[in-house]
Amino acid sequence: MKKSRAKVAWPFYMMVAPMAVLFFIFHTIPFLQGIFYSFTDWKGFGNWEFIGLDNYFMFFKDPTIRQTYWFTFKFAFCATVLVNLLSLALACGLNGKIKGRGLLKAVYFLPYMLGTLIIGFVFNFIFGNVFPDLGKALGIEALSVNILGTNKAWLGVLFVTVWQSMAFNTMIYLAGLQTVDKDVYEAAAVDGSKGLQRFFKITFPLIAPFFTINMVLSVKGFLMAFDQIMAMTGGGPGTSTTSISVLIYKRGFDGGQFAYQSANAVILFVVIAVISVFQLKVLEKREAKIN
Amino acid sequence: MKMKKMVALGLAGSLVAGTLVGCSGKGDEASGKADSGVTELELFSSKMESVSTLQSLVDSFNEQNPDIKVTLNAPADAGTVLKTRMTKDDLPDILAYGGDNRYTELTDVGVLIDLSDEDFIKTINPSYMNMLYQINADRDEKAYGAPFATNASGIIYNVDLFKEAGVEVPSTWDEFMEVCETLESAGIQPFEFTFKDGWTTLLSWNPMAADLQPENFLFDRKDGKATFTGTHEEVLEKYLQVIQYGQADYMGTSYDDGNRNFANGSAAMLINGSWTVPELKKTNPDINLDMFAYPTTNDEAKNLTASGIDVLLAVTTQCKNPEAAKKFVSFMLQPENSQQYMEEQFAFSPVEGVMQEDESVASLAKNITDGKVVDFSDHYYPSGYDLAAILSEFFLNRENGMADQENIEATLKKCDEQYDILNVN
Amino acid sequence: MKKARVKERVNWPLTILLFALAILLIFGPLYITVVIALKSPQEMGNVLALPKQIHWQNFADAWKMTEYPKKFINTLFITVVTLVFTILTNSMTAYAITRNKEKNWFFKVMYYYFISAMFIPFNVLMLPLVKQASLFHMDNIYGITFLYIIFGLPMNTFLYAGQVKSLPVALEEAAIIDGATTTQTFIKIIFPLMKPMSATVAIMSFMWTWNDFLMPLVLLSDAKYQTLQLAQYVFKGQFATQYNLAFASYLMVLIPILIVYVFCQKWIIAGVTSGSVKA
Repeated sequence: MKKSRAKVAWPFYMMVAPMAVLFFIFHTIPFLQGIFYSFTDWKGFGNWEFIGLDNYFMFFKDPTIRQTYWFTFKFAFCATVLVNLLSLALACGLNGKIKGRGLLKAVYFLPYMLGTLIIGFVFNFIFGNVFPDLGKALGIEALSVNILGTNKAWLGVLFVTVWQSMAFNTMIYLAGLQTVDKDVYEAAAVDGSKGLQRFFKITFPLIAPFFTINMVLSVKGFLMAFDQIMAMTGGGPGTSTTSISVLIYKRGFDGGQFAYQSANAVILFVVIAVISVFQLKVLEKREAKIN
Repeated sequence: MKMKKMVALGLAGSLVAGTLVGCSGKGDEASGKADSGVTELELFSSKMESVSTLQSLVDSFNEQNPDIKVTLNAPADAGTVLKTRMTKDDLPDILAYGGDNRYTELTDVGVLIDLSDEDFIKTINPSYMNMLYQINADRDEKAYGAPFATNASGIIYNVDLFKEAGVEVPSTWDEFMEVCETLESAGIQPFEFTFKDGWTTLLSWNPMAADLQPENFLFDRKDGKATFTGTHEEVLEKYLQVIQYGQADYMGTSYDDGNRNFANGSAAMLINGSWTVPELKKTNPDINLDMFAYPTTNDEAKNLTASGIDVLLAVTTQCKNPEAAKKFVSFMLQPENSQQYMEEQFAFSPVEGVMQEDESVASLAKNITDGKVVDFSDHYYPSGYDLAAILSEFFLNRENGMADQENIEATLKKCDEQYDILNVN
Repeated sequence: MKKARVKERVNWPLTILLFALAILLIFGPLYITVVIALKSPQEMGNVLALPKQIHWQNFADAWKMTEYPKKFINTLFITVVTLVFTILTNSMTAYAITRNKEKNWFFKVMYYYFISAMFIPFNVLMLPLVKQASLFHMDNIYGITFLYIIFGLPMNTFLYAGQVKSLPVALEEAAIIDGATTTQTFIKIIFPLMKPMSATVAIMSFMWTWNDFLMPLVLLSDAKYQTLQLAQYVFKGQFATQYNLAFASYLMVLIPILIVYVFCQKWIIAGVTSGSVKA
């Protein structure tokens, strides 16, 4: 042990130590503080006391929390499925024998560059002012009201999220498709596989690693949804589009629930960690099987 | 090669940006405290509607006082921003804030300077000082803020549309419903609702709850001696009756869009407060408006106008120069400045002798001088109590086809549940 | 021979479909944004119609109202400084960790420490971080820049690790034999070889800091420190129904990034995808 340690030149330690110390102070300590606060009744200012696990007990009884988690999971699930399906389809299209691929790629990637907040504001206007007018003009009942004011508001938020997130996932899938050797297809053609069958039998297994990347990155991002909700619904109507992040921000600061929402954040962390590890395990195993 | 260029470019860029930021930073200090002794004060306002008026008052104050520079900051979602800053222990110098439960909380934590002995407090109508004492954390008679403007909520109506339909201002509930019927049969939309912004659902709740709830309910509820269930059914029943006369997309219309529609004559009535009037006049300066008190019951004497402290000016303990801040407050309360605010914002001044004469709010002004007023109920609910979200959900349930009775029961149950969660903490 | 020619044939229906979708879905919302920003309020009757006369005044008003130049400089400062220091520091840290993690427990621990921190989203830290940042007087642009550099570390360590692994150790050994120190080896040999990943890190960092909303929202309360994104939110209420003004303001936030995109789009797409794929 000692011997192997001596082999590492000291500048290597200097390259790591300062960053590690800073990271500990500004990332790990707040994280531990959050856990600490979750056992208190602190409002973010003034006096506080230890209350043990009370925040966690309340967490499981609170109907707002239940609704928020339900919305967040429903939203993240649908967004993940839709984004991956649609961007895979789009990537296949872009990988086809088309003209102007470079231009199309650039255009479809554009939403990734734009800030989510501003996209949210723009679509908020479109849902509130453009679609209803269009719906009235065309006599379509469902379009004539602002979807963000109905119990389908979450679909509006979902649409915008999918619109933006597709850009990144499409490019990843496209990069994956382009690694697939054309000869494989020719071999498949000889075997007589075509269309969807060819896709599932041959293409998909080959791009499975890219699927893994997308799934892992998507789910985590969608569980954290914040900007687009603040820009479009502010969590409403009622609390129907309040995501966990929005709840932590709003109630944690404004609602006098600093400690309680710290407990929420701790649970959110556990959830994210479990989901990410689970995903990696399952998807890696499946990839291995396919290969 | 490309990379090197990029890095070089980046470094150059950061240097330029750095010097610019550095310069402006230094500039602030040079023109600030260090050299000429100018005191910089931040005025934090929670009212979007009054930004231009406040700015012009701030400008004239800065002009008259070259040694003080007040900067106005009026962010969106000001309540949450202020609380975030409280958590950060980074309070603005001067607050222009509503007299609601956040003020109560600020006094509770003790971050506001006691202004009781200042001369300007003596110019304020004692009834408003009493209103202020009511929302002090321990209800003692200290002025942790100076009431600057009061508001009145009720029903704003389009005088011309009322004339067109041949209806009079209703003073009882039955008359009110009749007016809605008549308007509707004349092809005029009775109400424009703006429930995409959840807080506007409170504007009907507050006067109705104040008129219909048992006496002392607000304090009994706090002590756990009363519940919403069993006392507020009528409020929601009446609310459902009112809502039938709204536009189809009442849940999807935002406050801003609804105000614009109303100012362009989309509906005869808008349930909101005096603070909305300037927004309406901005869109349509020629609109002929007036307001009346919410006719909750058939007993006219019981139908009070909800009126509260719309803006109070407070100086925080973190203010570097409280004397300069007090000077600003005193400036704002001078009759001519107060008058300017009242004229432009259609608010009511607590300063003795400053009158609101605009006919857009004339009827309510009379109620206020007659003392037929009650404070907003939601100013007394615990901080963080999101009644607006509960009410929005109430209407969402309605849209989803839930039976009214079931909906009312579920909603009131939720009111109590949420109240208890916050009251315990 | 014949087969090869068949392969080259352009699939026109697919091409047309993809262009149509691009126009409708991507340019549609952008068109609405631009058109509204260029109109006067009187022309809002038909939202989709082109303006009869271009109303530049919207931009001038929004420029003044949101104090655009100040917010622009703030944002540029945060973005550029974060980018430069992220590449310089994070590449070094990631290199040292990856090279030694098999040899030495300290580096191995550090590796897992940073990688596991990827599972902690910002929202989890947000509440206590706000307290701590104000305690250290970091609720300003310098502080937030500092935090961006540190918070990028887990992700960047992960990205750089993939690249460092692919570099042969023989290169460094040769340099050491030639008498170069460890630091010199890193600067002269390794850092230049990590260029492709540095490009990816640069783009990711740029996109993150320029478009971030949550961190400025909770940390930057002083108006003079606000970023462009935050300013859009802060002025939401003051824009009210002055949509023309609001959209002009949004457009002014989007334009710098659009310009960067038009010139570097190939490079950006390649950087983003290769980064995620290789890692």
